[in-house]
Amino acid sequence: MNVTVLGASSTKFGELWQISPRDLVGRTVADTLLEADIPRRKIQAVIVGNMLSGILGGQEHLGAFFAEELNLKVPAVKVESACASGGMAVHTAVMAIISGLYETVLVVGVEKMTDYKPEELAQALMGAGSDVEREAGATFPALYAMMARVHMDKYQTTETDMAAVAVKNHLHASLNSQAHFPFRITVEQVLASPKVASPLKLLDCSPVTDGAASILLTKSAKIKNKRQVSIIASASSTDSLGLSERQSLDSIKATSIAAKKAFELSAVSPTEVDIAEVHDCFTIAEIMAMEDIGFYKKGEAAPAIREGKTGLNGRPVVNISGGLKASGHPVGATGVKQIVEIYHQLKGDSGKRQVSKARVGLSHNVGGSGASAVIHILKSFK
Amino acid sequence: MISPIKIWRNQKKVIKLLNLKGEIISWTKIYVPPSGFEGQAPYMVVIAGLENGRRYTAQLVDWEERHLVLGQKVKTILRRTRNTDEESIIPYGIKFKPIE
Repeated sequence: MNVTVLGASSTKFGELWQISPRDLVGRTVADTLLEADIPRRKIQAVIVGNMLSGILGGQEHLGAFFAEELNLKVPAVKVESACASGGMAVHTAVMAIISGLYETVLVVGVEKMTDYKPEELAQALMGAGSDVEREAGATFPALYAMMARVHMDKYQTTETDMAAVAVKNHLHASLNSQAHFPFRITVEQVLASPKVASPLKLLDCSPVTDGAASILLTKSAKIKNKRQVSIIASASSTDSLGLSERQSLDSIKATSIAAKKAFELSAVSPTEVDIAEVHDCFTIAEIMAMEDIGFYKKGEAAPAIREGKTGLNGRPVVNISGGLKASGHPVGATGVKQIVEIYHQLKGDSGKRQVSKARVGLSHNVGGSGASAVIHILKSFK
Repeated sequence: MISPIKIWRNQKKVIKLLNLKGEIISWTKIYVPPSGFEGQAPYMVVIAGLENGRRYTAQLVDWEERHLVLGQKVKTILRRTRNTDEESIIPYGIKFKPIE
């Protein structure tokens, strides 16, 4: 598989009350097209990753909505897979290109969340869970908290281990001016933050964020005089919608199935990955992701993260953008933004947070409490 | 407002789940609730493995600190679940209660 990324950008992530979803998308697409240096008329289809526009904003039909905004008359459709909507939109675009139907496809991820109060958001996000979980009054922090409790019991993972994930990702975000929270925090601050769903505290949780990201993909193409970045694997898997039906609560099987497929497709091994953007919606989620993708054996990720092995001087460098935790989590935009980050790292134009000699990158996007997962592997070529 | 037809459909499932024993596989105390549960927070949600071989997610009620351990024995009971407005049907569903 080889699908070339022609351009990629994201907006500032944060509490963007002054900007509408329409304008967020307009801005990121303008930036992406500028970078790709091709005319708008070359876009043959638009795939939009979004979860909550209908339930929160009352706006469905996002394909036509954004095609109008972009002044395009091409096929356009919204893809929804809860918090993996962005990754699934990229996966859908890759399918469209390798099928041969379209040559050049624009992927947009967008979410507007901060207009709404926490209870409304918690209820809307639970649309990604099962009816039994909604009836119990469960929330996404609660579902990940129950995974954390089992991981802690089985592998002696501690609240300090989880805090180390948040501290690392905030340190990375401090180098990213587009991050929602571009500042450092300490382990003590994480441990002292208010409880959301025990054992998870406020600073274990990714925030409610507005933002958009976009990438322009085309079938394998040689670009003159430029470092070229391609998607060499795109894989996805699903599992039971509800957490209680899963085989295991201390790992996400959809992740391990998708990762295995992606490594097979690309003939890349986990040890060859230089940077990874993983789905740290909660700190425990990054610990499980590192194990489920295959970077560490079960129970060995937390000590490695604590020792800095996935930080700026480690390998792979994980969530150099700040991750969902500190860069922000505008649900439908997240999976697209992960690819944007990897694309720029592999091109070598990431400025202050550039990882040296980054050649292979992996993105990991999860929907719900692990009912869907999408993995992409990207590589740069001279 | 919760649709009466949804409640009616759900009741048929609820009957089959009543009065089953099980044990806690994981638990959390929720401080930030979704709409419909504002008046209850903080409250406990647990996943329990039931004697019928299935796992189920529901709230834990009538608990004390000593019950908050993995492996705690519980049983399923019928309780009012979410808050609704004054004129809506009151929804009942499964919750867990510790057994000594």
